[in-house]
Amino acid sequence: MRIVRPPRKSHPETIVALIDVVFFLLVFFMLIGRMDATAPFTVTPPSGTTGADMPSGGMTLSIAPDGALALDGTESTLDAALTQISERLSTEPDLLIRVNADQATELRHVLPLVGRIETLGARDVVLVVTPNPA
Amino acid sequence: MSTVRIRRPTSTPSLISLVSMIDVMMILLFFFMVTSTYLDLDMVPAVQQADESSEAPPPTTAPGADGAILVRIGADGGAVVGGTALTLDALSDMIRTRLSDAPLTPVVLLPSGGADMQALISVMDRLTLAGVQRLRVIRLEAQP
Repeated sequence: MRIVRPPRKSHPETIVALIDVVFFLLVFFMLIGRMDATAPFTVTPPSGTTGADMPSGGMTLSIAPDGALALDGTESTLDAALTQISERLSTEPDLLIRVNADQATELRHVLPLVGRIETLGARDVVLVVTPNPA
Repeated sequence: MSTVRIRRPTSTPSLISLVSMIDVMMILLFFFMVTSTYLDLDMVPAVQQADESSEAPPPTTAPGADGAILVRIGADGGAVVGGTALTLDALSDMIRTRLSDAPLTPVVLLPSGGADMQALISVMDRLTLAGVQRLRVIRLEAQP
């Protein structure tokens, strides 16, 4: 008896490995990405060596070198920003407020603002810095 | 001589095509790759949540009168202590010397409104690295 082996078909490249890689990359980018609204102007935070890791969440108040403000990515006036922060603080007393001021912003635009945020009842206000290992 | 042909059972086609899923995953992948900007940010606390029961009472005397070191930051970003302009290195050395005797000596920062953020953070960095544990930033307010 003779058994005829059917001609071997050449298998196409399996796409399972491709799916694995793409899925890996997708999960990677989703995990490391943090969806933060960026300010409508360029803000380069000052560099610091003793900063701590930034927790997520909270509100971000960006301050341009000329003192322009943006709250969570939307350009805002001082009064409007303070009103929004106050409203959020009324429901979330432990709300983190991140002050993302440009490194060239004069402190007369920053410190009074931090003081006013503190008077609204904020208990966690942080200044954003870029880590400088040197 | 008869031949026997063994047929391999035909594989049943998958019910749901994987191609559309791959398309969706690729679109999501490109979206996250393109929209992601890599920002490595740290923070320096400006207002800290403190346990009120353990919080030290606020100083009732002027800075410097109770042994606190008053560091001014000029509009040019330079540090001034006791009327003497100091470089950041000299400031670190001076603070280290003072803290070696009294490690809990408070340091009060009084920056000029004309100084920039980088100057404030640089001085705060140096003070923290020098071992300052009680650092406070104050500002002058104009009287109405």
